[in-house]
Amino acid sequence: MLKMNNISRIYQSDTIQTHALRDFSLNVNAGEFVAVTGPSGSGKSTFLNVAGLLDNFDRGQYELDGVSVQGLKDDELSRLRNEKIGFIFQNYNLIPDYSIFDNVDMPLRYRGFSASERKRRVEEALEKVGLASRLKYLPSQLSGGQQQRVAIARALAGEPKILLADEPTGNLDSLMARQVMEILHDLNKGGATIIMVTHDPDQAREVSRNVQVIDGQLADFRVYAPLDRQAEQTGKNTSAVASKNVNEEVVDA
Amino acid sequence: MNFATLNIKGLIKSLLLRKFTTGLLILQLAITLGLLVNSAILAFDTREKMSQPTGLDDENILIVSTHPTSGSYRDLDYYRSIVNEDLSKLNQLPGVNSVSITNQLPIRGRGMLSNTHDIDNPEQEKADKYLKDVKYTLAGEHLAEAMGFTIIEGRFLNKSDELDFDSEAKNNIVITESLKKGLYGDESAIGRETNNGIIVGVIKDIMLDPTLPRDKQYGLFMNTIMKYIFIGRFYVINVEPGQMANVRNQVSDTILAVQAERDIFDVFTMSEHLKNFYRDDQGLSDLFLLLCGLMIFVTAISSYAYSQFHISRQKKYIGIRRALGARKQDILLYVLTENWLVYTIGCALGLVMALGFNILLSQYISLSKPDMMLFLLASAVIFVAGTLATWIPAVKTSNIPPVIATRTV
Amino acid sequence: MRSVSMLAYNLTLAMQSFKRAPSLYFLVVLTLSIGVGLLCANLALVNSMASDPIPEKSEQLFHVSMNTWPNDDPQAEPFHILRYREAMKIVSSDIPKNSAVFYASGVYARDSASPSLKRFDSSVRATTPGFFSLTNAPFAYGSGFIKSSVMEVVIGHELNQKIFTGENSVGKVLELDGELLTIVGVLKPWRLRPLFYHATEGRAFNLTDDIYAPLETSIDLGWSIHARSSSTVSYKGVKFTRDRDVFYLQAWVELENSVKKQAFQYYLDNYSQSLKDVGEHPLAIRNELRDVNAWLLEQNIVDQKVLAFTLASVLFLCVCVFNASSLLLSRFHSAKFEVGLRRAIGASNKNILMQGITESALLGVIAGLLSLLLSWLFLKLSTKFLPDLENLAVLEPKLLLLGVLLALVTAIFSALYPLYRGNRYTISAELK
Repeated sequence: MLKMNNISRIYQSDTIQTHALRDFSLNVNAGEFVAVTGPSGSGKSTFLNVAGLLDNFDRGQYELDGVSVQGLKDDELSRLRNEKIGFIFQNYNLIPDYSIFDNVDMPLRYRGFSASERKRRVEEALEKVGLASRLKYLPSQLSGGQQQRVAIARALAGEPKILLADEPTGNLDSLMARQVMEILHDLNKGGATIIMVTHDPDQAREVSRNVQVIDGQLADFRVYAPLDRQAEQTGKNTSAVASKNVNEEVVDA
Repeated sequence: MNFATLNIKGLIKSLLLRKFTTGLLILQLAITLGLLVNSAILAFDTREKMSQPTGLDDENILIVSTHPTSGSYRDLDYYRSIVNEDLSKLNQLPGVNSVSITNQLPIRGRGMLSNTHDIDNPEQEKADKYLKDVKYTLAGEHLAEAMGFTIIEGRFLNKSDELDFDSEAKNNIVITESLKKGLYGDESAIGRETNNGIIVGVIKDIMLDPTLPRDKQYGLFMNTIMKYIFIGRFYVINVEPGQMANVRNQVSDTILAVQAERDIFDVFTMSEHLKNFYRDDQGLSDLFLLLCGLMIFVTAISSYAYSQFHISRQKKYIGIRRALGARKQDILLYVLTENWLVYTIGCALGLVMALGFNILLSQYISLSKPDMMLFLLASAVIFVAGTLATWIPAVKTSNIPPVIATRTV
Repeated sequence: MRSVSMLAYNLTLAMQSFKRAPSLYFLVVLTLSIGVGLLCANLALVNSMASDPIPEKSEQLFHVSMNTWPNDDPQAEPFHILRYREAMKIVSSDIPKNSAVFYASGVYARDSASPSLKRFDSSVRATTPGFFSLTNAPFAYGSGFIKSSVMEVVIGHELNQKIFTGENSVGKVLELDGELLTIVGVLKPWRLRPLFYHATEGRAFNLTDDIYAPLETSIDLGWSIHARSSSTVSYKGVKFTRDRDVFYLQAWVELENSVKKQAFQYYLDNYSQSLKDVGEHPLAIRNELRDVNAWLLEQNIVDQKVLAFTLASVLFLCVCVFNASSLLLSRFHSAKFEVGLRRAIGASNKNILMQGITESALLGVIAGLLSLLLSWLFLKLSTKFLPDLENLAVLEPKLLLLGVLLALVTAIFSALYPLYRGNRYTISAELK
């Protein structure tokens, strides 16, 4: 699904070269749930930016779902981001002026779906995260956990090949964090490929694979759970994941 | 361009969230449009006025306005002899078709006027107020050729119409077509007698006073200029086409060579005379266009500042859009559409402003009503200027890298 | 003391702020000063047109209109021009302190003693002697003529400059259209804006005349009428107007109080009645006395084109203010972090407000100074486009002051909403 081979990312300032990634190699198979950990400044954010095609890299090869990304034009990268990747950000990154519906709808518009197709997908995705009844709410009317679930719905709506989560529970209290993690786990059980950057060792331990980045390189990796189940479900889309009801949180108006 | 990627409802909502700045810009756009439309009206009105047919051979008529400076001219016989010599010398210039003299020019407000009615029907003046102010021109007998009048009935004035200076006999006069209609309707006017003399000819209308209606260009001509030579201020010279520059260069010297104690105020063609009549209209219309230029400039700055300000606040969200798969051109379209939406509202309000401003202006000056074509044209100008002004911020915005999305503030 | 140092501090901050975003502040100053400059230029024109030319006694000077048209032509309105016989009736009354009856003419003038034959085109006011004290004409040398039928003239400053290079020319003899007249007085530079004594025929903004000649002399010499005249009969020139129905003379009287005005009105009406009694006054008696300002108002001398353009420039100033406002909003927005910081270390809302107002006031002063330059420029430009305005394009001190004030007010006004918005940003939101 994701193949990185000897990727280097160098930030150049006037006098100093910083190697954010140094000969970084990683292979993620379809259906895997990979946690990326590491101390701050280790390069895990850079990794996620490169993996998500948000940032370019200086050396190495990167293949995403069979497409080699080096040398692609900006528009082609946008297309790939839109079709193959679902992002979940630490601070949700919802657009505050837009309703929940419009937020989830936004990436679908860039895909060029028809209005009816978009509506179907938005409703389905919000169903999955248990927020189907809040279509018209503004993000500010929801709790942090709910907002993150909207963000997850937004990531799912485009039926991406891979979900990239950047500290998805970083801004949430433990109860809400729990709920978000449950959704991610459910999605993974349904066959979704997920890469999650986290600094929470507990979360890292729960997933199928945990890789650690130190000084821009993969330090070592430990397997905490057997991989056998994923092997059968290669290539399946996250959309196939059956939805599971999530308990609603009560939000003060 | 793919407008389907846009969420118009969302755009409107985001505009509503910055009511103040958007409102200011919309007001500015509306005022600018209002001024633009009315300035264009003024400009077109002026152009139309200046391109009205004068009924004269505008391009080929040269006029000299002159006045003696010496006391010797108080002897009118001396005055006349000099004028006669002037006329004959001017006539000899190569390229000159004919020369005449008159007390006043067409294309002028008021001037020397006289009430005119059929000798037996003074009541006419009560029915038609324009008959009270008929342009009263003292003409030399060659004025018709010099001006290029078209005779439609009878003849123009000739030597026999010039009475002895102390004669009390009735004058022969030539009148304009509209005056004939005003006095006698469709009947022939030849031989009829007015309070100002007996009609011997009718000429096709010329533009005597542009401030009066086209069909009220009442004027009469009589051959008494030599009698009242002291008001014969204008020499009218009809010039062979293409010879204007030549003749123009020589007239002053020719006149002064006859007798030097003269002031030559001006030498001008009839088309310049026409232009000069509308000089103030032209000036005002130019001033308005200048103001339009300034206004578009200021409004363009505002459009620029508006998008710039908006974008500086939206940077993060643009990054998110990019991260979620928006292409650069999607963002460009997004920013431009947002502005176009504002311009559309501004122009719609501008329609009201244009009408209101038109009504307000017409309290002071005369101008036509706005029409839809002009409004659309002005709107197009606003859109083009606005798009140009927001182009740089829009391109800058589309260059916001998607990686901004993962940065935590 | 504290407020002074605070002001100094605020000014320093404002200067720093300008340095941080010079192009933005430049645009604010530029648009405001263009807007104010343009409006000021137009107001200067309107001011010149609408001002009182002789404030010391404009309420005591009256223009005389009469309704003595000799046939029953429904010429309805009283005439501003009078026949010689009415004019003489007015001059012979001893009710007014001063009276003047005159017409406009023109001659060519040269110094009769000069070898040069160059003659100067000169405008003439053919008038009764009362003109000088009625209009307070300022004499540099000599005085006015005493009688209406002497070969004497008074000349204006400009003509004296042209012919006699400005020296005292009293006693010198001018050749005017071949006649010799002696100079008895020379005026100082004399501007009347508007030219109230001849505000008709679009002449309200002409310069004062070159030559002031006795009325009877001018008529006898046949100096033609260079203004509106009207007659029911044909005549061969001004020489023959005294006993005919030729209307061409304008009359002004100086009446010091309402009693005198009443008396003079009565005097005129009596005269008209006497005409009526002998069948020479077919129309209703309507004799009207209007003081300077009422007369000027009646003549509608304020150029409608200029008014229209002033209206447009008011709108333009609005656009400029809106523009400055949105520019300042974006500036204050980008400075909100700094504001948050100041608030956090104890600046009160009022301090921040004062700082903002100081900044915009400083902007206003700069814009005001620039707008003075621009209004001068716009005035030049207006007279280029509308040459008739040339004698009007004067920037009086009070207009300069108005310009600076206007810039100051608009600058502060532009900053009001941005400041209000700026003060609403919460401290914590900016400093988290």
